[in-house]
Amino acid sequence: MEAKVIIVTFRDIFQYEAGKKSRYSDEYRQLSAQILLDKQDMADLGVKDGQRVTVGNELGCIVAAAKASEDDPHPGLAFMTNSPWSNQLVRDDICETSIPGFKRIEAVVSPTEEAITQITELLQRMRA
Amino acid sequence: MVGAMEIYMLLPKTNCKKCGLPTCMAFAVGLLGREKKIDECTPLIEEKKYEAKLKKLREVMAPLENASETGLIIHPEKCFGCGNCVVACPVNVAAEPTRCAVGLGPKSDKVILAVEDGIVKCMNAKECRRFGPNKILCNACTATCPSKAIEFV
Amino acid sequence: MTTCTGCSLLCEDIELALKTGAITQAKNLCRKGQGHFQALFTERTRPMIDGQEVSLDQAIGKAAEILKSAKLPLLYGWSNSTLEAQAVGIDLAKKLGATIDDTSSFCQGILMERVLTGKIPTCTLDDVRNYADTSVFWGADPSNSHPRHLSRFAYYPRGEKRQKSYEEERTCIAVDVRKSATARLCSNYYFRLAPGQDAEFIEAILAVLEGKIPKFGDKKRMIELGTILRKTEYGVIFPGLGMVYSLQEKMDLLETLVVKLNEITTFKVIPMVGHYNMRGFNQLLLDLTGFINRVSFKDGKASHGPENSVIAAAKRCDAALVIGSDPLCALPFATARALAKVPLIAIDPRRSLTTDAAKVVIPSAMYGLEAGGTAVRMDGVKIAFEPAIKSDLLSDEQVLTRIMEAI
Repeated sequence: MEAKVIIVTFRDIFQYEAGKKSRYSDEYRQLSAQILLDKQDMADLGVKDGQRVTVGNELGCIVAAAKASEDDPHPGLAFMTNSPWSNQLVRDDICETSIPGFKRIEAVVSPTEEAITQITELLQRMRA
Repeated sequence: MVGAMEIYMLLPKTNCKKCGLPTCMAFAVGLLGREKKIDECTPLIEEKKYEAKLKKLREVMAPLENASETGLIIHPEKCFGCGNCVVACPVNVAAEPTRCAVGLGPKSDKVILAVEDGIVKCMNAKECRRFGPNKILCNACTATCPSKAIEFV
Repeated sequence: MTTCTGCSLLCEDIELALKTGAITQAKNLCRKGQGHFQALFTERTRPMIDGQEVSLDQAIGKAAEILKSAKLPLLYGWSNSTLEAQAVGIDLAKKLGATIDDTSSFCQGILMERVLTGKIPTCTLDDVRNYADTSVFWGADPSNSHPRHLSRFAYYPRGEKRQKSYEEERTCIAVDVRKSATARLCSNYYFRLAPGQDAEFIEAILAVLEGKIPKFGDKKRMIELGTILRKTEYGVIFPGLGMVYSLQEKMDLLETLVVKLNEITTFKVIPMVGHYNMRGFNQLLLDLTGFINRVSFKDGKASHGPENSVIAAAKRCDAALVIGSDPLCALPFATARALAKVPLIAIDPRRSLTTDAAKVVIPSAMYGLEAGGTAVRMDGVKIAFEPAIKSDLLSDEQVLTRIMEAI
């Protein structure tokens, strides 16, 4: 089971606060490795609030926690904060103005048993 | 915000009158209005079969413990420290016409709301216009909060 | 009074109670500012080369060596440094024939260029507080990004011509793809778009302003919006990354809208800059070279182009200096990876993914608390600030000067 989504990044004051404490904190990971999904999309996917999902595209893949969005319905749209997790999926070659596609990340979401990706793993991928 | 029905469901529902009120529903309303304390329901405290309900009741009532006499509750874990309430509060504005009225933090301690260490704090709650003989239903602070961190009981 | 350097509002009414090693009380600091200031006390950087602690002199020496021998050095960051430090940085770039770029490159650059060169009219935040009766947050959620924006300027405070403020004299409008915290405060003045629909939305506004039926959106609401805009005495649009990223090369449409609005009434634009001195860097570089970012000093003179953006230059450079920024956290994986592969010099008060991947780490003082200087607020107002705490750490300005001397 999988669902195609377009991910838009957003600002969250609590994620900022956690990242300021430490990039290596549990709170930063919890608020970054998190994808807000439309309630109906989650139901269709068979994913419960808090359940782990893979979020991936041709650039990379991460494991995040699915969270039910409290917004008005937004099928096909998902939201993540800007972080090394979401950045695994961001294209940097989208157009001539050289602005990366932070607000239009095409990805596929699928339930998983794998553990949430750790930031140390992401750093390793960068240095590999 | 917890409601009377939710509280009632956590009580013995026997109408034993040991708390001094005729029904458990009356006690629930009394708890919400903070005229009664949980410990006044002696069966709930003393009887082991109500242990789980007592625990849950204490949990849902906890935010009200910190509510000021005007019924103002702040949930610090939700507060953005944005100062909207500080600037919207009519008492703050009247007390600090060159500061809070125009968006700055207060200088005096005559205000009701001020942001400290990133979170709003309530002081001088009795000055709040929802309190006292001429009380009005002012909702400036709750209506301007981006995260429902401030609310009334 | 202390100035907060947590975001580009540069709040100056912060009162700190200090004791050695701690801020025991901070007044008026929002949650974001509090996080920023409290960070002073944890995970501070130490001078390092290849993960080993060294003396400051050694780290600076190594940094100079790397930059001097590089053929295509990249100097990136800048938006968290003062004007004084940025000036030294630009000098350093000239001396090295390096490429210099800041966060505006993948952030507010396209819009900032138009504002700084006068193509789009702007005003100060004090003007907003005193005169604005309509504030439009477009693809921006200040409640989360600039928490005191609404209470200090855009919606809730009283102003010279707005004594009755938000209750009777101000309207706050949010245009966004999600119902953000700010959108909730704007209640029925929240216009929801799908990603990428900003161009159509602008065209619909232009249509209603000309008395035509809009082709997009709820007609009744669009006409209502047109009426609000028409009746506005002094309007301000605050574009966030949501709008900038959506319009990108179609930024001319915003220009067109603002021109149209100014035919009817007064409308200004203030870009929602993130970091506290991004606008300062853009203004400084513009004054010195004619460009706000993406400049290369190779061949002795300033040239500009997308090839000089950090995104592109990261892949071509053979050494990089990153100052006050954490691109390994904030930039797309491919860029982060490219930077992690070259000899990286990181100047930062605190540990980050970038300092962890750096070959050389140089600790710096935290501006606002441990070091002072001048910065430019998101609206162009220059704000000078003094440090609140004594520190032996060098400021960015001092570190860069020492590197320059060693080259």
